[in-house]
Amino acid sequence: MADFHIRLDGVTKTYGSLRVVDNLRLDIIRGEFLSLLGPSGSGKTTILMMLAGFQDASEGTIYVDGNMINDIPSHKRNMGVVFQSYALFPHMSVAQNVAFPLKMRGFGRSDIRERVERALDMVQLSTMKDRKPSQLSGGQQQRVALARALVFEPGVVLMDEPLGALDKQLREQMQLDIRELHARLGLTIVFVTHDQSEALTMSDRIAVFNKGRIEQIDTPRMIYDHPATRFVAEFIGETNLMEGEIAGREGDEAMVRLSDGCMMRVRARDGLERGAKVLVTIRPEKVELSDPPAAANSFPVTVSDTIYQGDHFRVQLQGAGQRFIARRDRRAAEWPQGARLHATFAADDCWVIAP
Amino acid sequence: MRPGKLIPAVFGLLAVSFLLLPLLVILPLAFTSSLFLIYPIPSFSLRWFDVLVTNPVWRAAIVNSLIIGIGTTILSTVLGGLASLGLREKLRFVSAPLSTLFLLPMVVPAVVLGVGLQILYARFGLSSTYLGMIIAHTVIAIPLVMVSVTNSLQGMDSRLELAAASLGAGPAATLLHVTLPLAMPGILTGAVLAFAVSLDEVVLNIFLAGPGQRTIARQMFAELRDNISPAIAAAAFLFIAGTIVLMALVLLMRRRVGGTAS
Amino acid sequence: MMARLWNRRTRAFLLVMPMALFIAVFFVWPLVIMVKQSVSDTAVLQILPRTADEVAGWDRASPPSEAMQAALIADLRAATDEKAVGDMVRRLNSAQSGFRTLMSKTISAVAKPETGPLLAPVDKRWMQPPYWIAIADALEPRTDRYLLAAVDLERDATGDITQMPEGSSANRLIFGRTFWIAGLVTLFCVLIGYPYALLIAASTGTTRAILLAAVLLPLWTSLLVRTAAWFILLQEQGLINGFLLSTGVIASPLALIFNRTGVVIAMTHVLLPLMVLPIYSVLVTIPTNLMPAATSLGAHPLRAFVHVMLPLSLRGVVSGMLLVFMTAVGYYITPALVGGAGDQMISAIIAFYSTQTANWSMASALGMVLLAITLVLYVVYAQLSGRNSIGGRM
Repeated sequence: MADFHIRLDGVTKTYGSLRVVDNLRLDIIRGEFLSLLGPSGSGKTTILMMLAGFQDASEGTIYVDGNMINDIPSHKRNMGVVFQSYALFPHMSVAQNVAFPLKMRGFGRSDIRERVERALDMVQLSTMKDRKPSQLSGGQQQRVALARALVFEPGVVLMDEPLGALDKQLREQMQLDIRELHARLGLTIVFVTHDQSEALTMSDRIAVFNKGRIEQIDTPRMIYDHPATRFVAEFIGETNLMEGEIAGREGDEAMVRLSDGCMMRVRARDGLERGAKVLVTIRPEKVELSDPPAAANSFPVTVSDTIYQGDHFRVQLQGAGQRFIARRDRRAAEWPQGARLHATFAADDCWVIAP
Repeated sequence: MRPGKLIPAVFGLLAVSFLLLPLLVILPLAFTSSLFLIYPIPSFSLRWFDVLVTNPVWRAAIVNSLIIGIGTTILSTVLGGLASLGLREKLRFVSAPLSTLFLLPMVVPAVVLGVGLQILYARFGLSSTYLGMIIAHTVIAIPLVMVSVTNSLQGMDSRLELAAASLGAGPAATLLHVTLPLAMPGILTGAVLAFAVSLDEVVLNIFLAGPGQRTIARQMFAELRDNISPAIAAAAFLFIAGTIVLMALVLLMRRRVGGTAS
Repeated sequence: MMARLWNRRTRAFLLVMPMALFIAVFFVWPLVIMVKQSVSDTAVLQILPRTADEVAGWDRASPPSEAMQAALIADLRAATDEKAVGDMVRRLNSAQSGFRTLMSKTISAVAKPETGPLLAPVDKRWMQPPYWIAIADALEPRTDRYLLAAVDLERDATGDITQMPEGSSANRLIFGRTFWIAGLVTLFCVLIGYPYALLIAASTGTTRAILLAAVLLPLWTSLLVRTAAWFILLQEQGLINGFLLSTGVIASPLALIFNRTGVVIAMTHVLLPLMVLPIYSVLVTIPTNLMPAATSLGAHPLRAFVHVMLPLSLRGVVSGMLLVFMTAVGYYITPALVGGAGDQMISAIIAFYSTQTANWSMASALGMVLLAITLVLYVVYAQLSGRNSIGGRM
């Protein structure tokens, strides 16, 4: 058995007739940074609440280190939790906040002082220790919450959209800081977010949630390049989707007949029988545009709009009976509206999923 | 000024004087040297405060008010505080009716409650006892305690208690270190209101108390009916000063407890 | 998992329990006792329990049996509480005249050991059924006579409900007066309170703070202090008369106290905050740009007010009116102090029955009527303003 730190087995949470989490099976590897990513209402926060012991699973079992923890109350689970709005105790100073979990565990006075000092050093807040949370900026509050959740050295840290309230620049800085802390301390972190770029930046693995179920769980790279379902393809980044059916296979490649009759080469996958209905996905940045047609997988398209986005151009195209988006380097020529071009999709960049 | 602005200004001024004038008028009379509760004041003196302290009837009334008031404050704050905490657990068909029930004493006219309690007390020998008065005042003070404690609990971020649990605090420790300190402003306000209600209460005192439990308010009521002396104004002065001191105390405590920026 | 849920519920239950018990014993139970008292009539049953057993089998027409007579003698011999016996006699005499003399004669007769077992030798009247019928009727422990009397009704000899004779009871008059005074106070409160609340909502900064403080300060001040203050203002040598006399507006002092004027003025002052605060709390939720919007669409400010502000704030106005009326109906202290004999409201009558004459049945019956009125008003109020919002009273 691999070194699974946490295992959820058939976990279900229902509110009346609503199944918020539906028969979930999830193994969390020791020391990994796992993001639970999904739109609001997909059940990701509920899973975190059940892990922390704030909510009970309606069905199923949760194991930590092989022991079932369903009946262990949250204060005995020894998991650090970082909340969306930090949940710092407003009536305590920064140092008292960080000392709280140590006090609850009966640490000695000098031991507490030393550990609090170290934890605040780690988040660079040593000078703020006598302030009240209300006297801190959002980013500082966030770091106090982090220090408080880490100071008692829990094996697992659960984070519920901890960066959601910060502005973009600070958020990106904190993403890197948390990533570094994770690497340094070797923690298992379960991180809930609805921000796909945050999940891609930080995670070892991402579990994409939809309607209480996991659509796909894999590394960021696999999630982005090889989405398992249409939901994942559309939820993570932008993508072009084309309907078609498998017309045949040739070694590593398969032929797909698109709905308008064009043939397209794609990377083959197991289990694609001839005649199977499929969706072909290709990311906008993989769409090549050229005036003369390239060798294969090339379609005539018309530029319907070109939008300047700073670091790139977003080109809206019409062709093969549908719309496409391409993302082009800013140095590329700015094609006028109505320009006739050819779009080329490299077979390796086309990924086929079930419709 | 245009009439469009003049009329509201004049109305506002009149209404404010109607509301505040009576309160301002009674205060100077506490310091009159006259035997009568009327203006003009011949000269200033503290004789009526002296009466409050030295006259055995007034003195007993002050002591009784303190005994009953403090008893009521403690009993109603403890009961109301515990119940407010318990009512946060929302049970269908239980929690909502109970919270309404606990607010009803505020609605039921004092005389109605007085009649019922009088009959009940006659059966149990609670008539003309301090305990009986404390209980009666607690009944009418409870809604105010419930309202202020419940408000402060509702205003509290419930995630703070979850956070405490995740940091290793059991239910008792969470209550002690997180919930109670944060609910303290509401609890204090409730306690002050309970004391104020007890201090000002007359009707239940008429129904249930014996001569041994006459309070200041009851004594003022009796004096207003019979021999109207400036001792009433002196007592009123103490009331108003007491209210201001208590309110200031609560505000101070609130500020101390919470750098609670929401 | 179930165990943890159960724990949480047990904890909640244990926390609420003391309060629930306290309220049940010292709030609900007294009201239940009062309701029972208002329909109970045990003055006779309490003294004559043996007679009650015997009378139960009697046909109400034939002469009284020997057992009935013996039981009555035994009951009267056993009775020791003179006050209770007096209550019984009064109760019987009100049903059948002549009982007072008959009873006093009989009681002194049964004190002698040789009397009995028959009553005919004591008084011939004991052989007539009407006296026994009166006893039999009065033994019934449930009665509606107090509730009927609370609204000036009674049952005649045939058991039909009829009006009490003119002048024998004034409860309807007093209920009417109570509503009239409460209505007047509500009217004055809304006439002053609504514009005042509009004024607060329209003002800003210091002005708003002062206007709000002027409402809150009286609310925090003792009711007795406020009533005493009106005493000082309204009395014959009071400030108002003094001012009017010295400016020559009047030649002799106005009667402002111990009459209806005084009661209405003082109660309006006391209850005004209860009108202003609910209205204000609704007004602040109305977006400030609605009135300018209406006028920009061409409405005259007055029309804009009638069509925009008034309908939106109506909920607060009605809440305030109900709150003031509900509180005013049960008022006791203020009318007792600044009113005259003709201004006493229903609470004063209840207090009179309860504390002066210890007629708890009558006090309870009147209390029942007052309680019912108050609860109906409260239910309407609660529907209107959302549950738990009587916190506005503070």
